[in-house]
Amino acid sequence: MPEYTPIPPASCVVVSGASRGLGLALATDALKRGARVAGFARTVTPELQALADAHPDDVHVAAVDANDSGAVAGFLRDAADRLGPLDALVNNAAVGQDSLHVHTSPERIGEIVQTNLTAPLLLTRAFLRRLTARGGRGRVVMVTSVCAQRGYAGLVAYSATKGGLDSAMRALAREMHGRVLVNSVAPGFFASEMSSVLGGEQLETITRRTPTGRLVEADDLTPIVGMLLFEDTNIHGQVLTVDGGSSI
Amino acid sequence: MNTVSRDEVRSMMGDVLAAQGKPLPADELTPLVDIGFRSLDFSELALRVEDETGDELNFDAPGLRRIETVGDVLDFLEQLQSA
Ligand SMILES: NC(=O)c1ccc[n+]([C@@H]2O[C@H](COP(=O)([O-])OP(=O)(O)OC[C@H]3O[C@@H](n4cnc5c(N)ncnc54)[C@H](OP(=O)(O)O)[C@@H]3O)[C@@H](O)[C@H]2O)c1
Repeated sequence: MPEYTPIPPASCVVVSGASRGLGLALATDALKRGARVAGFARTVTPELQALADAHPDDVHVAAVDANDSGAVAGFLRDAADRLGPLDALVNNAAVGQDSLHVHTSPERIGEIVQTNLTAPLLLTRAFLRRLTARGGRGRVVMVTSVCAQRGYAGLVAYSATKGGLDSAMRALAREMHGRVLVNSVAPGFFASEMSSVLGGEQLETITRRTPTGRLVEADDLTPIVGMLLFEDTNIHGQVLTVDGGSSI
Repeated sequence: MNTVSRDEVRSMMGDVLAAQGKPLPADELTPLVDIGFRSLDFSELALRVEDETGDELNFDAPGLRRIETVGDVLDFLEQLQSA
């Protein structure tokens, strides 16, 4: 048996959808843990720009649409030129849904699948091609959702994309052997722009059905993603669900 | 686009309820919970309207969640057709 050498902690993390919500929290946390961070979204918010301004040598940000694979490739190239080899990826960018399947237009379904499933698959591919070509080792985390495990009305296409990403994650974990640790983190509902469509009554119902009695917060998720990016855990090909027990 | 009048939508709503053995009350302020008209019933009605107009009426769930009375159903389908 070859001797086991752990995958090193992430040193340069790509975060998609880093402009706000969970993505911004994950980018900030990775930086605090000592990594360099390359973050993008379609719009660079003042918060993301402030992070970049405060850490000019360690943070690279740009306005990039995840659905524009040429722009994504350019972003990875620029980020690696500025920060050094990229060895971790957090697929966080996504769009939400709140419409019954029969009343969701085919175009909208296509957009959700494109942004939440096709784009992260292509970003992961581009990231892994760079990493593999230089014989690197690294880590990939997919931010999925409890919706991939349990049915929620109004989230049919969205749930399909999150389930698709969890399945892809497992297959990828096999393909990358032990060279790249690949896992998903599946949050329950948490307050963000994406979930702002939920009414107070719905949030109350979700909270009531959550055994811990409180909704998930970004602070519950950052340590879990941080563990997958930085620690030597031997966790590979798994979905770690962080939802206060709502899906049990 | 063809449109279906408020009265015609009302009559279609009566058909959806009648198929479940329920009457459609005359009072437009009647809450939907009182007559057991649920979101899937609204979907059925919207799809029947689509059949008549030949156009899809796609919409998000928050609009649907605001519908509470018989009158709200008729108003919402009127708005969707004119959108
Ligand atoms: N909030 C919840 O309750 C919840 C629950 C379970 C899982 N999640 C998952 O958690 C992750 C983060 O969600 P969040 O709640 O923080 O959402 P959010 O506040 O809406 O943030 C989404 C991020 O993705 C970016 N984004 C969206 N489309 C993009 C595109 N085409 N190209 C590049 N960036 C794009 C957004 O920036 P731009 O719009 O500027 O592009 C933003 O930075 C998502 O994967 C979501 O599915 C959320």
